Amino acid sequence: MEDSRSIPLQPDTTGQSHADFPSPRERRKPRTSEVPPLAPPPAQLADYETIIGNAQVDELRFLASILRGKTVKMVNSTAVGGGVAEMLNCLVPLLRELEIKTGWEVITGGNDFFEITKAFHNALHGGEYALTEQARDVFMRHTEQNRQRMNFDEDFIVIHDPQPAGLVASKTGRSSRWIWRCHIDLSNPNIEVWNFLQPMVERYDAAVFSSPAFARQLSIPQALFYPCIDPLSEKNKELEESYIREVCDNFGVDRSRPIVTQISRFDRLKDPVGVIQAYKMAKKYVDFQLVLAGGSASDDPEGAIVLREVMEAADEDPDIIVLDLPPWSALEINALQRASTIIVQKSLKEGFGLTVTEGLWKGKPIIASAVGGIPTQVIDKLTGALVHSVEGCAYQIRYLLMHPELGLQLGRNGREHVKENFLMTTNVRRWLLLFRLLSEGLNPAPR
Amino acid sequence: MMTRTASTPFEFKAAAHLLFIEREQARNLAELLDALLSCSENSIFQHTFRTLEEHHFIKEGFSNDFAHWASSELGVIGLGERLASLDVREFTSLSSLRSRLIQLVEEFLARNPSVREQIAENPFYFCSSKTVVLPVQTRARDLAEFIDGLKQVSIHSIHYHFIEARLRRKLETNDFSLWLEKELGLSRAASLLNRIDIYTSTLDGVKRKIAQILENATD
Repeated sequence: MEDSRSIPLQPDTTGQSHADFPSPRERRKPRTSEVPPLAPPPAQLADYETIIGNAQVDELRFLASILRGKTVKMVNSTAVGGGVAEMLNCLVPLLRELEIKTGWEVITGGNDFFEITKAFHNALHGGEYALTEQARDVFMRHTEQNRQRMNFDEDFIVIHDPQPAGLVASKTGRSSRWIWRCHIDLSNPNIEVWNFLQPMVERYDAAVFSSPAFARQLSIPQALFYPCIDPLSEKNKELEESYIREVCDNFGVDRSRPIVTQISRFDRLKDPVGVIQAYKMAKKYVDFQLVLAGGSASDDPEGAIVLREVMEAADEDPDIIVLDLPPWSALEINALQRASTIIVQKSLKEGFGLTVTEGLWKGKPIIASAVGGIPTQVIDKLTGALVHSVEGCAYQIRYLLMHPELGLQLGRNGREHVKENFLMTTNVRRWLLLFRLLSEGLNPAPR
Repeated sequence: MMTRTASTPFEFKAAAHLLFIEREQARNLAELLDALLSCSENSIFQHTFRTLEEHHFIKEGFSNDFAHWASSELGVIGLGERLASLDVREFTSLSSLRSRLIQLVEEFLARNPSVREQIAENPFYFCSSKTVVLPVQTRARDLAEFIDGLKQVSIHSIHYHFIEARLRRKLETNDFSLWLEKELGLSRAASLLNRIDIYTSTLDGVKRKIAQILENATD
């Protein structure tokens, strides 16, 4: 067997010896800012030219020129927090720059409304729920109040997710085209809740889903928009090597040895304990550190329990680095991903899996479970390795650490896959195409 | 480099595609066969021609979605290999491509009836794409301008002119070769372009090979 110490490693740019790194207890106290930093200004289209090339940016400009002067209204349920608001914060300024007059409004509602929409959300993911007459009334009453408060004079009305779906009652026979953008997985919904929502959804001119596996059979056309990442966001932008080094030093990560990382909140569905088991199996053959970094568990009772389980499983192993980071740690997570030799996402259940997209974008070989939207991103042996068990994960860690040239190839392919299919600019293109096709009279229903 | 000027300039274009989710799904080969018979031609286009563009950066091991699903989701490597050997450039119509796909699945099932109902790890979801053709602000009147233009345009433009063109033209050639031969008399270079293997190159690699052939063109 090959000696693990002979494996070609990432270049050590730290100039530090292993002995300089803090002890396991010290390194579990990461130094991160205690308050959220100010959000950076939104990127402009020209900023993407160096990433996707002038020709593709010109194609966006041409597509938009056909729609110049058209108006769009985006409606969702929250202005801050969550993936939809994050995506709209990037998408809306880009559409405006392309001279598509795009507004963004947020529905309002009392605690009773948002408790019900939260219950709907869970039920649409397959959770148990008994839909009561009272819940329907609260949903419809708040929908009606929002309908009275808002105007829908735009050419395209885009409603995000189930909470504002009932606004479609304002759709008249006039020229507005209504689109329902569903960001959640409807493959196995609570049927009572879905039966309540379906007639609303089928009043739209088109629906948009994140994966064919998440969609329902509907009487309206269903477009496929993969979720996407913004390559210029703090989580994904290029970083100075000195900053990556500083973050690793702060967290006690030794860059002279291979680093295998899973970024995810401390949730059993992300199987962090399974990752530690895989680490222990692989560690018998190859030397590496495991970094488990995730969102704060401090305000999530279940997260805190899982974090405790993770710490127990780690058992004071100095090469397992567990980082419970605050939600505004995008730059630190970016640095950890970039410092990693391999990125793992060993989820038991997953949505689309944007942490996988982020890892692919950074050109890293990915080892990930074949669940949710991950197989769309990780094409086995071509853009990463798909696994189905702890043992499979352990084997792939060993294999990729022993064959770094394969990891480089997977990483290169993975980055190109994201560039072609999962970047914000691709989504801008998809929206422009959908608006154009709807303007031209998209067929009302599939065959 | 030859300096002949074309009477009709070459206008580079690109195609933008939007994906739609169709009704057909297949969990096994019997359902795949049914769906292949009933799906729209847009679905056949999406899972063969278009997927090549979506995965343009892969130069080995990926050919079309049907082949990939048969191998990785159903584990029927023999069928996967046969489907992967399909070269879309041999088809000038989607109906003939559909027929060939059906024939390959039927032949495989005739020899391996036991896998007919074998359930795949994940279903095959049929999608289709709708296309919008985009003019690109690049025109060429001679070979030098053509090579310059080629270097500027995106891989979407290469796919549109070099691969999709066969369906539009119903000819076993491509827009570049046709123009180069007709307008510039470069018949040898035109023929060499048709010999570029799109399945063992990335689309960027194809673009570089086209430029290389044309930079050496003398006839």
